Amino acid sequence: MADVAIPTDASHDAHDAHGGGHEHHSSLGLSNNKLAMWLFLGSECLLFGGLISTYMLYRGRVADGPAPDQVYDIPFTSVSSFVLLMSSLTMVLAVTSAARHDDRNTKLWLTITALLGATFVGGQVYEFTAFYREGMGFTTSLFSSSFFTLTGFHGVHVTVGIIMLMAVRAMIARNKIPGEKDEVVELVGLYWHFVDVVWIVIFTLVYLIPA
Amino acid sequence: MAIIERPESGTPVPALAGGPAVVGPAQTLGAFRRPVTTTGWKSWLFTVDHKKLGIMYGVSAMFFFVVGGLEAVLIRLQLAQPNGKVLSADVYNQMFTMHATTMVFLFIMPMAAAFANYMVPLQIGARDVAFPRINAFGFWAYFFGAIFINTSWFLGGAADGGWFMYAPNSSTLFSPSHGIDFWVLGLQITGIASLSGSVNLIVTVLNMRAPGMSLLKVPIFTWLVLVTQFLLLFAMPVITVALFLLNFQRGFGATFFDTSAGADPLLWQHLFWIFGHPEVYIIILPSFGLVSEVLPVFSRKPLFGYPLVVFSGVAIGFVGWGVWAHHMFASGLGPVSVAVFSIATMMIAIPTGVKIINWCMTMWGGKLWYTTSMMFAIALVVEFTIGGVSGVTHAAASSDTQQTDTYYIVAHFHYVLFGGAVLGLFAGFYYWWPKVFGRMLDEKLGKWNFWLMIIGLNLTFGPMHILGLQGQPRRMYRYDPDRMGEGFFNLTFWNQVATLGSIILSVGVLFFIINVWVTAKRPADAPLDPWDARSLEWLTASPPKEHNFDTIPQVHALDEFFHRKYAENEHGELVKVATAEELLAAEEAAGSGHVDLPAPSYWPILLAFGLPVAAYGVIYNHIGIAVGGVIILLAMFGWSLEPSYAEPTDYDPPTDGGSTKELATLG
Amino acid sequence: MRTLPTVSNRIERVSRRVLPALGLMLLAGCAKNAPQDFLHPEGDPAKTINTVNKIIFPLAGIVAVLVFIGVAVILWKFKDRGQPMPHQGHGKSTIEIGSIVVSASLLVVVAVPTFSTIFDLAETDDCNMVINVTGQQWWWEFAYPVQDGIDKPIVTSGDIVIPEGECVMLRITSRDVIHSFWVPKLNGKKDAVPNRVHTLRFQADQPGVYLGQCAEFCGLSHANMKMNAIALTRADFATWVANQTAEKPMASEGQAGFEGQGVYSSYCTACHQVDGLKDPSGNPVVAQADTTLVAGAAPNLTHLMSRITFAGGTYWLQTEKCRDDLFNASPEEFGALYLKGVDESCLNRIELEEWLRNAPAKKAMYPTLNEDGLGRGMPYLALSEDQIDSLVEYLLTLQ
Repeated sequence: MADVAIPTDASHDAHDAHGGGHEHHSSLGLSNNKLAMWLFLGSECLLFGGLISTYMLYRGRVADGPAPDQVYDIPFTSVSSFVLLMSSLTMVLAVTSAARHDDRNTKLWLTITALLGATFVGGQVYEFTAFYREGMGFTTSLFSSSFFTLTGFHGVHVTVGIIMLMAVRAMIARNKIPGEKDEVVELVGLYWHFVDVVWIVIFTLVYLIPA
Repeated sequence: MAIIERPESGTPVPALAGGPAVVGPAQTLGAFRRPVTTTGWKSWLFTVDHKKLGIMYGVSAMFFFVVGGLEAVLIRLQLAQPNGKVLSADVYNQMFTMHATTMVFLFIMPMAAAFANYMVPLQIGARDVAFPRINAFGFWAYFFGAIFINTSWFLGGAADGGWFMYAPNSSTLFSPSHGIDFWVLGLQITGIASLSGSVNLIVTVLNMRAPGMSLLKVPIFTWLVLVTQFLLLFAMPVITVALFLLNFQRGFGATFFDTSAGADPLLWQHLFWIFGHPEVYIIILPSFGLVSEVLPVFSRKPLFGYPLVVFSGVAIGFVGWGVWAHHMFASGLGPVSVAVFSIATMMIAIPTGVKIINWCMTMWGGKLWYTTSMMFAIALVVEFTIGGVSGVTHAAASSDTQQTDTYYIVAHFHYVLFGGAVLGLFAGFYYWWPKVFGRMLDEKLGKWNFWLMIIGLNLTFGPMHILGLQGQPRRMYRYDPDRMGEGFFNLTFWNQVATLGSIILSVGVLFFIINVWVTAKRPADAPLDPWDARSLEWLTASPPKEHNFDTIPQVHALDEFFHRKYAENEHGELVKVATAEELLAAEEAAGSGHVDLPAPSYWPILLAFGLPVAAYGVIYNHIGIAVGGVIILLAMFGWSLEPSYAEPTDYDPPTDGGSTKELATLG
Repeated sequence: MRTLPTVSNRIERVSRRVLPALGLMLLAGCAKNAPQDFLHPEGDPAKTINTVNKIIFPLAGIVAVLVFIGVAVILWKFKDRGQPMPHQGHGKSTIEIGSIVVSASLLVVVAVPTFSTIFDLAETDDCNMVINVTGQQWWWEFAYPVQDGIDKPIVTSGDIVIPEGECVMLRITSRDVIHSFWVPKLNGKKDAVPNRVHTLRFQADQPGVYLGQCAEFCGLSHANMKMNAIALTRADFATWVANQTAEKPMASEGQAGFEGQGVYSSYCTACHQVDGLKDPSGNPVVAQADTTLVAGAAPNLTHLMSRITFAGGTYWLQTEKCRDDLFNASPEEFGALYLKGVDESCLNRIELEEWLRNAPAKKAMYPTLNEDGLGRGMPYLALSEDQIDSLVEYLLTLQ
């Protein structure tokens, strides 16, 4: 009487989004993947909330190590923050290209976004080593531990984002994208923008507001 | 009815419409075919079926219930006399730490997840959860995490800092064994399970409801599970931060809680309780949902004030975030914050009280049928009330400075957690057993189970009120006869009553296990609708088919199933117009005949397995982190590249002339 | 459809008999004279707290009993006796709103007195004495800074001695993990948190002994971390202060305890301080606990025999008979009896000797040193029986 589980069109390939079976109705009119990403980002807010609170509590506890204003290089970090902000712009361009089904430009903007992100992470690596040379290691003081933990967590998030960008780019190139291309790009975009917004908060609270 | 027919071997993949966008998975990614087994042990290891996963959650959680229960009995045996010799001080401290950890994280939460996994898709008329593979991953992460924590018993001793693991007592200086490392990493792993589960269930409930099921037609259990998942979603990251900080301190030389480096130990307390208080509601709300299903069914009336129960559930969820510091009234907060948290805590009693009244009013005017399930639900109303009113007594902060850290608190939260959460889960076992296994649990054994548990519960935890009010602090491996007062009813006597109670309680639980065993030996002959139930999960076979419903039902009302069975006659009397069998037959006849179900997958279990490997690496040898990381990466690679569906050619040809292969059942 | 037996009769029986019995048990089943019973307070702050207790506990009890009765009535009245299917009504808004209003107003009754007591108890400006309380694994130290009536600092442990009827401000902190200071009959708990100082009102209304113990889990021997509050009349308190601050000469050759003083000097001074003890060159001997213990301090033993417990409150210093005399003394006689201290006839010699023989066997501790060479608790000293005897003789001189 029936057949089972044969993909007959592209939408069926959406990974894991097929729990509801053939009836692809969605009660909220939002795709499962997008809703899940929003929920996950909501959860991430509290993760960074906890880390930021820890940093704010301990920013003044420098022990024998350097104080924040002794190590921070505001102009340098401002530039790398600007680079990260620009990557949000290029991400927007990638998402609009994907919406237009313009694979060439989607790949291009994804690559540029990833490169900008990598520049930011590179800046962070440089910053960390500079701090380390100035006598501020991970275990030097409560300030240093909480600084490295907070910015390190953020850096890991950016790095994961870069991997996601490059993976999506590769899969578009080889036509192996799971699900609808424009939605996948949009999901990565959501994550990327979130990580950027978190950085704006961190940059303001950590670097700009004096202890 | 052949809904899931396995196509004959050699059926060609249909021609693809829409140009080059889609690639037949088999041609390009042959290494990553999906498994198809639906019977045998492989079908359990690689399943993504929410029902199988629900059963697996349930069996694992039950195992840890027994483990945690044995730990409790050992604690009580130690305290049966003032200077007990059953356990050493060190082992005793490990025992109460692991008792709480096991009961909270490895029993109640996953048991609630078992019910949620199994029932939520059925209650909302869906074929599975939104992300079946993530669901499988969540289970395996919990399972491996739970085993990982418990291996610490054999590797130098378990965590010994209390389940709240206050800093700085949790640092290596004060707890040099690896116990706390296991605890930290194990909870991170089970936390990943909780977080992925919460995203999954929220999306499922919000997005996959059957047509017509508006939010205020969602069954109450599903509603309260939804609130619980939101609490988890926002509470888990906070404890994750705390656990990371502790892990960085114990393993990597950071000083977050090292007071000699100037740290503030209250940081841990705030982070822990910002998680820890919502956690209390995470534990209790699913059981509130369960009894809110059971009481109406056995009262033959709708839930009284359904919208109010929903809103009070949501209100508990919200206010639950603003009361964490009531665990810290003695820890030196200023009087203003103490007063604010005290008032907020009292406010949370309002929605809770509303629930009690709603349950009573549900039964009022009903036609009460005292099945074991109903008795557990009624017992929850009664026992939880005791825990609720004692909760109000320590909402008064000044009074709480006397009560906190005494046995009075132990009495309170056991009435809430055992008298509330656990009794609710047992009501659920008896109520949904015929749905899940097609067999009725034995009612006679059930009554033994019920009465022994109720007597045991009150004998164990009732006397603890007296112990606490008369000054016995908690977490003490011995106590002085000198401080136990005089007279026959001295505190040593009450300690002994509590020990006796814990043994009766254990026997009660043993009766449940016997009941399960006896039931499993019987034929699966439960009626389709043994309780004259009300909600959608009963509108399908018992046990449900692999794809849940032949037709996704169109929902018109809260208690949809009931309203399909009953209608008012011309005199305004309620009469039965259809039986469950007739309704099911109609659904099957209307079946669309085409169902896509996700195939099983190898990757969730492998991905989850990488987590404990990496965690052992963190503790013993950092090479292990790399090995775990490689496993995780491999699994992610396989996960994202495997096709969404199994190849039709991978299925065994139908052996029974095209009929559906049913799920394997337990027992 | 219905094949299962109903058990409503049993439910009725239970709800009618067992539940009230449970309530009565709570009222009548309490131990008599439990020394840590906070529902019978004997100090002003604890009495203030009890004014709230007197409202909330009965209120909580009444609400619970009302729910029990309500449930019992419902279970009896509406059990299935074959009545027709009930009306499928979804609720009554009057009852729903009413339930909110009623529970909210009950809480107001509780909230108002709670609110005022929180602020009353946080007030310490009217206290005319200060004692610094320091918790550590697993004993309490009490230090009296110089103030009115105390012209030399006093450091003691185990017994916190206070003048009766006066508010004493405790400044509570910790040297290692979190502890909680709790003498139930005098006030609620206050956590002792390292790096923080918390204040607590402390007052006893009559002379006597008030037992307490650490209430926050603090590691291995949490169960053994106890203290006693001793309230004395103003005059007796002055006597106590005079004794604690008096210069004590060393035992000289031929005097009681001289031999033990030698044992003490070679085995105990690394951790324990006895004021007045001098080394052969005449310099005061100062304990170096900060180089031997994680907490950096061990109990000061200068006036050990003026106290009633040893080993962090784990053991009584007195025999049971002397202890009973002291504990049962009338408020008028109490001061004199306490100030007498522990003499040879009253000494709990058996347990003190066992303690000196092998301390870790008498109290769970971590005597083995960590990688920094620090221990937690008293180690096994491998003393000979002769050494133990003479050490006890010496300790008896520390009045």
